[in-house]
Amino acid sequence: MLTTVAQAVVNGLLIGGIYALVSIGVTLIFGVVKIVNFAQGEFVMIGMYISFYLATNFGIDPLVSLVISMPVLFVVGVLLQHFLIRRVLGLGDMPQIFLTFALSLLLVNLALLLFTANYRTVQTPYSEAAIQLGTLYIPIAKLIAFAVAMALSGLLWAFLHATDIGKAMRAAAQNRDVAMLMGINPDRVFCVAVGVALALAGAAGSLLMPFYPAYPLVGQVFVLMAFVAVVLGTLGNIIGALIASLMMGVAESLGIQFVGADSGLIVVFAMLLLTLAVRPSGLFGGRNR
Amino acid sequence: MYGLVHRGGFWVGMAAAVAIVLPLLVSSGFAIDIFIRILLFAFIGVAWNLMGGYAKQLSLGHAAYFGLGAYTSTILLIRYGVSPWIGMLAGGVVAMLASLPIGALCFRLRGPYFAIATIATAQVLMLLFLKFRDFAWGAEGTTMPNLGDAPLMMQFEGKTPYYYVALALLAIGLIITHRIERSWMGYYLVAVGEDEDAAEAIGVDATRIKRNIYLISAFLTALAGTFYVQYIYFIDPNTAFSFNVSVEAALVSIVGGIGTLWGPVVGTVMLESTSALLQSWLGGGHGGVQLTVYSLILIAVIVWRPSGLIGILTDAYYRVGRAGAVRAKEVPLDG
Repeated sequence: MLTTVAQAVVNGLLIGGIYALVSIGVTLIFGVVKIVNFAQGEFVMIGMYISFYLATNFGIDPLVSLVISMPVLFVVGVLLQHFLIRRVLGLGDMPQIFLTFALSLLLVNLALLLFTANYRTVQTPYSEAAIQLGTLYIPIAKLIAFAVAMALSGLLWAFLHATDIGKAMRAAAQNRDVAMLMGINPDRVFCVAVGVALALAGAAGSLLMPFYPAYPLVGQVFVLMAFVAVVLGTLGNIIGALIASLMMGVAESLGIQFVGADSGLIVVFAMLLLTLAVRPSGLFGGRNR
Repeated sequence: MYGLVHRGGFWVGMAAAVAIVLPLLVSSGFAIDIFIRILLFAFIGVAWNLMGGYAKQLSLGHAAYFGLGAYTSTILLIRYGVSPWIGMLAGGVVAMLASLPIGALCFRLRGPYFAIATIATAQVLMLLFLKFRDFAWGAEGTTMPNLGDAPLMMQFEGKTPYYYVALALLAIGLIITHRIERSWMGYYLVAVGEDEDAAEAIGVDATRIKRNIYLISAFLTALAGTFYVQYIYFIDPNTAFSFNVSVEAALVSIVGGIGTLWGPVVGTVMLESTSALLQSWLGGGHGGVQLTVYSLILIAVIVWRPSGLIGILTDAYYRVGRAGAVRAKEVPLDG
């Protein structure tokens, strides 16, 4: 019994690392640009397909293709902010919600047209390997994904606190108008924020590829988790999103273990609705909505 | 102004006349099927628009009420032999009851997080119905019993009667919207939609007004659910609580013109006929084409013309009208 619980917790933490990359992206965009990116999961999907094609056509290991998927998605993010999101800022809820929502629909259905609904997997030497730790069983691919995800989160934290553009981003997140008065160019800061967020989603995609199939709807799983984690962790709070993502991973894993294989999502949604009912401002902050 | 209203009435009369005689002129089952889809989704759009358009509560979970309507009437029909006409109203009541706790929860949030919470409620209901194997047939779903030509049980021979039922539903939805638009409630809704805090400050009970419009919107959406499963003779959780229903309800309203009486109708005609054309052009089996095109249209509308097709049409109408007025003035000068 105890072993089962421990194993479920470990599995949950490992996948929680991936959820963290996605939810940090969502919360970063929300914090800086004040937009909820409904399409964040679809960029994970794009990251997965990039790694899949690099692996099948050029034999590049998915973990190595991280260095390609991240910059590619960074550029996509900058273009997305510059050409689309910028146009709807300040236009009210409807355009802001439905722009990224439409983008999500578009990317899913384009993927369906281009790649079909088939599941694509990449076999790596370490895909099936695992470490036996006492009675615990730790799959290597997931462990690497978790470690890289945590490292990237740490790097982001350092970026936000130690570099000028990072500090400018935090300033713009706190108060856009005052930041502008201090000589910060909001357009540039917003482009970098969306770029970084999408690069994290791309990284999540590449890290998933050794042990998770790519298919057009794959992003929805991750974006739902990310939304719940972002609400739980207080909107715009990066550390909150990280901790909440790990919690979500564990909650989902325990749900699957003890309620039934198809109950993971019910547990997650129940947590979301419960959070909204009890503490709409999230676990880590007093800021409203 | 009088002329505009008068001419508006004329066009509504024309549209109604065309809609009534249309099935007599068209015999192709494929075409009637498309017309029924247009009427049904326009009706769902109208129901969504009451809340999403006027009060700007952008729900992405209206499939919850569509599904509850569908399941209520089906369970009543198959388990208790109750006519779907009664089941339809019962489904509407169930949806209204469900909208109270869902609204109490989701209305705590604004904007995007309201939308996400409504997605979650619809998904939870779908997952629950997938689990209810004994009570509601689980994932396999069930077919409707075939009772032949039984108008009292909402089963007809041929598609034309279904067309008129859908048309009646749409007419009811439009009349209700028209009534609300002209009432105090309509003004309150628009005030809440524009700025909830400001509306509360001048004494509008925003919580109550949102709850009331959610009740009406849920009721109407549930009627559509019953009609749909009676029309396709089949129900399962993925059909009844399909995320696509939630999406299309919002989509047709936004593309047509959010917060306008005719917006959802114009939007549905445009989107569904585009989809039908694509289907006959490309043939079936191209999963994704329809929604790819829909989402491109949606992005274009949002980026260039957030007031939707109705906005474009109104502008064109006024431009033509003004050009006419200018010309009329110029005539005596020239002469």
